[in-house]
Amino acid sequence: MPEEATSSTFASERLHINKGAEETVRELLRSLLESGKVDAVLALGRTGNGSGGVAYSLFRDPAAFEADGDAVPLLPFMPANAGGLLSRLTLEGALDEPVAAMIRPCELRAFVELVKLSQGSLDNVLLISSTCGGVYPLDADIDGRLEEKLPEYWEGVARGELSDDARPTCRACQHFVPEGADITVALLGEADLDTECTLQLNTERGATFASEVEGTPISEKPKSEAIDRSQSEREAFREELFAGVGVGLKDLIHTFGRCIGCHGCKTVCPICYCHLCYFDSQNCERPTGYYEGELVRKGGLRVPSDTVYFQLGRMAHMAVSCVGCGMCTDVCPADIPVSTLFSKVGAAAQAVFDYEPGRDVAEEIPLRTFEEEEFAQVAT
Amino acid sequence: MSGNGAMLAAEDGVEAALIGWLKETLNKDIFDALLMPVRTPAGDSFAYLLLQDPAILDGASPLPPVMPVQGGKAIGRLTMHGDGSKRIAAVVRPCEARAAIELAKLEQAHLDNVYLITLDCSGVLPLADYLEDPVAGADRFREASSAWDRSPMRPTCQICDRFSIRQAPGSDLHVGTLGCADGTAVLVAGSPKGERILEQMGMRAEDETKRTDALDAALAAWGTRVDEVGDAQTERRREVQRELQETIAGAEKLLDVFRSCINCHNCQRACPVCYCRQCYFESGALKLPPENYLARAERKGALRFPPDTLLFHIGRASHMAISCVSCGACEDACPTAIPVGQVFSLLGERAQEALGYVAGVSLEDPLPLVSYEMDELHDVEQPYVETYRNQEVQDA
Repeated sequence: MPEEATSSTFASERLHINKGAEETVRELLRSLLESGKVDAVLALGRTGNGSGGVAYSLFRDPAAFEADGDAVPLLPFMPANAGGLLSRLTLEGALDEPVAAMIRPCELRAFVELVKLSQGSLDNVLLISSTCGGVYPLDADIDGRLEEKLPEYWEGVARGELSDDARPTCRACQHFVPEGADITVALLGEADLDTECTLQLNTERGATFASEVEGTPISEKPKSEAIDRSQSEREAFREELFAGVGVGLKDLIHTFGRCIGCHGCKTVCPICYCHLCYFDSQNCERPTGYYEGELVRKGGLRVPSDTVYFQLGRMAHMAVSCVGCGMCTDVCPADIPVSTLFSKVGAAAQAVFDYEPGRDVAEEIPLRTFEEEEFAQVAT
Repeated sequence: MSGNGAMLAAEDGVEAALIGWLKETLNKDIFDALLMPVRTPAGDSFAYLLLQDPAILDGASPLPPVMPVQGGKAIGRLTMHGDGSKRIAAVVRPCEARAAIELAKLEQAHLDNVYLITLDCSGVLPLADYLEDPVAGADRFREASSAWDRSPMRPTCQICDRFSIRQAPGSDLHVGTLGCADGTAVLVAGSPKGERILEQMGMRAEDETKRTDALDAALAAWGTRVDEVGDAQTERRREVQRELQETIAGAEKLLDVFRSCINCHNCQRACPVCYCRQCYFESGALKLPPENYLARAERKGALRFPPDTLLFHIGRASHMAISCVSCGACEDACPTAIPVGQVFSLLGERAQEALGYVAGVSLEDPLPLVSYEMDELHDVEQPYVETYRNQEVQDA
């Protein structure tokens, strides 16, 4: 495998293919496995015999990518943020042989953040992503209902529009064009995505791995009209979404009042990588006398306690790396707009440091770097 | 049990009557604090509150329409590290009291100073159904529960046959409402601790002056009705579980049941009995070098990732099924609507039957996995003499 080429030294290439996007992606992934260029492909696949059921799988058998195979690489669904999965795969050691991952931009960004946090390795991971039309919430797949939504979804993507039923965070996403992918599949605003497809090869590695794809190199610039329109539509929706949630202490007490303390938001968050969260640790198991003391002080207290404390603590730990994927909202049994709150606070925290999580693996996470003059404002 | 009861006037409903009675216990210094469900600040849900200020009781609800946190878990959280100095009355549903008792046996709760107060329970709504519209949900719940209609309730509530102290003994005091005349309820002592409370409140029925024909008749009517409903529920439970068993028997079917699992482990976190600080399945033990995953993927053509989805559920079941109280908290917490509560309730019941155990109905019954009977391993043991003597002779 060649040394990783950065996009600054490699002029990206564009390849026009006379096949629909779905077919192109399936063929690309199948050929990568068949030719032995990659050992495995991480992509979405169907699970179970009944209706519904989608999970990421590590595919090694190329047959999964046949038209009727188990793999569904472009399904607009996110049962787990694949950034966390790539971290799990490479946590105990980098890959010796290449593995391709077909993932969404926010998953790629999460993985880059995790690599910065020493929770994985980019070595030998071929990153394939797409201009993203968003995903449906998890509950859209219950009883196999997701299938019914797909025609409408793809018609929308071809027009460059998102479904009103997509995750709210997707409709508010500002980073739906992947950065750092080796190969980008153009989907959003591609009117003929049923019959033709454009692959953008962003790195030398991407170009090498896609060398057997039959297509015509094209020089014209990527169509940006639909992307730009989507950007401004999503920006407007984001403003609306953010305006709808208050982040003052009173707001948080109200919003998280119905939290059941399952900490599912933390478990599915790709950035929350701790083995044992502080809030699940012994430190937060209080002696009985603590509750009795609090009872005297306050007259009444919630048990289990620390509901808002957990949310604020988690926010303080990960907001600067929050990629806004929306897993936390989806998993919440109490229907709390966790992702909207965390994205809103995350965006503010990231703006302070002019930081964009997952943009570039070489960019340090603000909390791990120090500039001499930056504490002048708090110095005494 | 029938001897130690009292009438509870409930003209404004049993919830108001119980709250009034609890206020009196606080004023008379019989309890120092209460642990019970109270409306959250936004008014859209309920949370367990430990309180000593009777004013806070206005937002309290002994039988809220939902169970966002299992009360056994709340009691465990409160008393995990030992008995407190305050006498706490915990107002919970029967399955929550059972969970607290299991936790006490597992040394994860301490109940010496906790008084478990339960009520006849018609179930709770699934949290997601209720949260869609809390106002309509509360109305739907009130209507259904007053008619003892379990159809809108959690699936595990629909087939619950331990909804009263008569089938779930273990609480200290119980408020019986089934079969009682309008505007009345019975307060039944389930333990010497409960009897003492009745005595302190001047309500003990064994006191001749309190013992009336009316009380005897009310207790008898309540008991008869609870048993009737209980029998019908048991029959329904068997029927539903028979059907369920068909759909989950064998690894293939079980895999299919959990096909939508996203590994969030909300079920384990919401479970009152799963008390491990860190679950084995979230520990470093299953985080392996990439070669391991790739080899497994090679063997099967593909490896669901993260792996071990079904292993987690089977592992969890084998750890806690014997203590499962069938509350359904796990199913409420599942973001992909897997019938995990129904499956675990069935597994739990079968496991408990096999060991002659019922979870959470007695502090004294030993937990099967931490007790040992001399004769119980006969069918798997190999006598030492037969197995090793010849070998020893040869070695010599």
